[in-house]
Parts: sequence; structure tokens; C-alpha cells
Amino acid sequence: MTKLRCIVVLLFLIVGVGMAEAKVYLDVYGKAHKKVTIGIPHFKSDKATRARTDMTELLNNDLDMSGFFVVAPSSLFDRELLDEGIEKAETKFPNWRSIGIELVCKARVVETGGEVALEAYLYDTLDGSVLLAKRYRTKPNEWRKIVHRLADDILLAVTGEKGIMDSRIIFVGGTTRNKDVYTASVDGTGVRRITSFRNITVSPSVSPDGKYLAYTSFKEGKPNLFITNLETGADVHVERQDGMKIGTAWMGKSTLAYSHTSGRTSTIYAYDVVKGQKKALLTKEGILTSPSFSPDGTKLAFVSDMYGSPQVFVQDMASGHVKRLTYSGNYNTSPSFSPKGDLIAFVSKIGGAFEICTMNVDGSNQRVLTSGGVNDSPHFSPCGRYIMYSSKRGNRYNLYVMLYNGENKRLLKFTNGNEEQPKFAP
Amino acid sequence: MKYLAMVAAVLLVLSYGCASKPVGDASTLSAADEARLAQEEAQRKKDRDARLVEEDLAKSRQEKEKQERQLQEKMKAAKWSDVNFDYDSYAVRSEDVPRLNELGEWLKANKDIRITVEGHCDERGTIEYNLALGQKRAEAVKGHLVKLGIDGKRIRVISYGKEMPLDSGHTEEAWARNRRAHLAVDKKG
Repeated sequence: MTKLRCIVVLLFLIVGVGMAEAKVYLDVYGKAHKKVTIGIPHFKSDKATRARTDMTELLNNDLDMSGFFVVAPSSLFDRELLDEGIEKAETKFPNWRSIGIELVCKARVVETGGEVALEAYLYDTLDGSVLLAKRYRTKPNEWRKIVHRLADDILLAVTGEKGIMDSRIIFVGGTTRNKDVYTASVDGTGVRRITSFRNITVSPSVSPDGKYLAYTSFKEGKPNLFITNLETGADVHVERQDGMKIGTAWMGKSTLAYSHTSGRTSTIYAYDVVKGQKKALLTKEGILTSPSFSPDGTKLAFVSDMYGSPQVFVQDMASGHVKRLTYSGNYNTSPSFSPKGDLIAFVSKIGGAFEICTMNVDGSNQRVLTSGGVNDSPHFSPCGRYIMYSSKRGNRYNLYVMLYNGENKRLLKFTNGNEEQPKFAP
Repeated sequence: MKYLAMVAAVLLVLSYGCASKPVGDASTLSAADEARLAQEEAQRKKDRDARLVEEDLAKSRQEKEKQERQLQEKMKAAKWSDVNFDYDSYAVRSEDVPRLNELGEWLKANKDIRITVEGHCDERGTIEYNLALGQKRAEAVKGHLVKLGIDGKRIRVISYGKEMPLDSGHTEEAWARNRRAHLAVDKKG
């Protein structure tokens, strides 16, 4: 991400001051929200650029996927609106308002000297105020990147927080007995396989500083847990003791939590990569798995079958007190804390289906977000507003993203194989 | 292969017989001839050794095949079919107990054999929980055998969760077949 040369220039100081006080148009944690109608007239550019890139279309897709906007169809704009310039003074706001457009995003694309520049404005049609004015520059073949940046910035201006369109993710891809770890951009481009064991490799996660990758692989004939330094490619730690080592979650910069099931008991361990020290956090008879920490590290959510069926529990790290969170049904697994610390996503068997659900961290207010099929591995975006998960349709697992309240489900496309266990990468 | 070895052996014996005649009259031989004969003798010895090694290899191969046959015979006598489980359960079912007891007796009688127990799950459920559940299924079968007096060191357990279904179908029957502990001789040792 840092490799990309993407320079953002604030155009006007006055606008900068205006943006700092940008009002929040949408309360993202409200139970429901009204979507904002946005109009995006075709970006001004020369013919060659337009033929090579479709930035307007990509911004339309990004904002639609965000779940916070109704993107007005371009057929709504008449010749007069389309012929307007991109500056505030050139925009007749009452005309935009008269066709129901609340926000209008105008931009100009200029390609010069092996560089593409995108100059973009976001106006409120009610009072003509400028919500965003930025110029983005990058290499011509990375034009998608600056559109995603613009989409994320529009979300920041309107909702108070950035979007996810410029994010990278990791997931497990491949076929039966032949699964590897992949990375890609949310928009489906830049797909790269980062392991090549051609074996069963599962449950990957990247440390918050982006330095380490943890996963479980059968590449040595049994399920061992590996922590790899992504910069050097070297394994910094391997757990090879008998039994199942699975479920990787990071706490802080360099501590990995995972579960180990062997013999009568299971244990959740925390392994400090820097110190090279292992600490047992919790041991129980039966199954313990899928550890997930609250963002402040004070609570540990996990699955246990201590009462006969898999249920989600949370342990207070300071007192050691364990509280059961799920009582409904006989199969609740895969807990995952929101980075905001207010919700836990999990999987619940309801009827014959496995549904993605959320609940408050005390177990209250449980909500079912999917409807049917086998859904697995929910994981929140860093902003806590989106949940990415895998879903089986027919014989194939695909990745989806939706808002934390279950709205706006969108299929993400990366490879032609199965895609499972997605996580946002730092 | 065997015939070839035999023919070679006969030829060698014959040629040895022929060549040995002049050696009896060694006193009349020149030093150069002696050196030549010594060289020939050395070559013959080398050939003989080569033949002996060849026979040894054949023998050990036969031995191995015999052992493999015996193992196959032994395995036929044991109960190797999969142990199946109820949904989301790792309790050995009562109907499988007599079969496991028989396997235990067989393992007692064949102390040189080590086994693996693979735990598997059906496709319903989450990846991580199924990997843990498969471990418990394999451990449950191992636990039963250990209770019968089998040394736990002879039993290697491994879980594949829902990663390696036996039946790729999505019916109750397929799921029932996939919820299993698979038993096999541990060839690794």
C-alpha cells in the first residue's frame, strides 16, 4: 500500500477548514439509515483517457457497494447538467436538487507525463457547500487505486469514517485438499497467492503491523501452526506438538492466540512472537476453539462445548471470569469481535442453515444477518461497519461483504476456485 | 529374473570348472601367465560376489513381499471399516463397540503394528470447529482402544475436519458417511 505513489493535494485552504467541520450526514450505528442520493456526472477527460479507464463507472460501483448511497442513474442528467463545469461557481445546485440529487460529485481526469491526476469535488446541493475537494495523482496503470481512495474519502466526508474500497484482504483459496492463502484488493484485482503448499492450509491471519502471517497447514503431514515473517519469508515459529492447532487471532502487535486440542483437553494459548514466549490463557475439557480478542485486549471470545454443544463464551482477561453468550440453538461458533468493540459476529445453526449473526458483547440483541445456506467465518472491517464472510452457493464457497446490519450484501470475485475465511489485511 | 539368475549361476560354475584345469599345472607357468591367471581369478571372485549379492536382494525382496502378504492377511482378519458418529458428536456409538473390541484384540495379537485414526466431519458447520471436532472423534476411538489395553503410542490421531469428505453429496446419507473415524495401518512406522 505504501509502495504506491499517491499524492493527495488539498486544493483550497478555505475548503480544508470547511471539511474539518464536515457534518455527519449518516449515523452509521443507527438501527437503520436513509441512503443519500448521489449524482456522479461523467468525469471530464479527453477521449483516450475515457477509452482506457472508466473511473466514473468504478466510483458508481464503489459507492453502491458502500451501502450508504443511492447512486443516481446517469440517464437522469440532461444535457444542461452534463455540460456544467466542475467548479462550484459553474454548478446550478437548484437544478440538481430538482431531480432529487442530494450530493453531487464532479471530477476531472488529466493524464500528463506518465501520470494520471484526478481532481474531485463533492457538493451538497442544498446549500452548495463543498464537502470534499482533493486532487489524487498516481501511475496510469493504477488509476483504480485513486478512484477507491476518492470513494473512501467521500464516505469519510459523509459518514465521518473511511470506507473499505482501498483495502486489501487475505483469504483461503483453492480446491479440496489443495488450499493456499491468497491476498487481493477488495475490488477483485491484484490477486496474489502467498503460500504454495498445494495441501490443506487454513485459518490465516496477518498481524496488525502487517509483518507476520499465521496459519495452520497440513504440509508436513499433520496440522501444524506456522508464523511466517512476510518480509523475509522465513518461519519465525512453528507449533508441531500432537493434536489440532487452529484458529489464529492477533492481540496487540505481535501476540497470536490459537487453540490446541489434544487428548481430553483443549487450551487457548497466546504466543508472543517478539519474546518467543507461550502462555496458556484457558484450558477446558472437550473443545475450545476460534479465539477472538476485543480491540482493547480485555476480553477473549471463544467457542466451547463445555455444556454439550458448541456455544460462544467470553472470558474477562483480568478476572478470569467466563460468561456464556449464546443460548439459542445447539450450534453457535466462529465468534469475531468488531474492532469497535461493540459487537461480536458469529455463526449460528438455525433450521438446517448456518447463518451469520451479530450480538452485543454481553450476548444481548442477537440478530440474524443472512438467510439460508452454509455461511462461515464472519470478520469485521477495521471501521467496524462491514462484515466479510464466506457463503456456500451450490458447490462453491464465495466471499461476500455486507453492512454490519446485514444490508447491502455484495459478492466479491477473486478466483475461479473456492474462497473461504476472509479477513481484512492491515 | 529368477531363471536368469539360475542360468548365470550354471554358466559361472561351468566356466569355473574349465578354467581351473590349467591352474593344477601351475609349476610350468611363467610369471606373466601367473599374473594373468591371478587377475582372471580375481575377476571370477568378483563375478561370484556379484551373483551372491544379487541372490541376497532377491531373497530380501521375497521376504518383503511375504511380510506384506502376511500383513494383508492379518488386516483382513481385523475390523477396519470406518467408525461413524452422530451429528456434532464425538461419542463412540454402542453399536460400534463390539467392532472396536475386536480390533483391540487383533492389535493385542499383532504388537508390531501401529495404526492411524483419522477424524472427519460432514460439510455442515464451520471450518475451525469441525477441525477440532474431527480431533475429538479420532481421540474418542483411540481412547477406547487404550482402555482395552493398547499402548497409546501405537495409535496416531489426526483430524481433517470437513476438508476430505468421503462422499461429495449433500444428502443425509452422504453426511452420515462423512462423519467418521477412519482406521488404517500406520505405514510411517
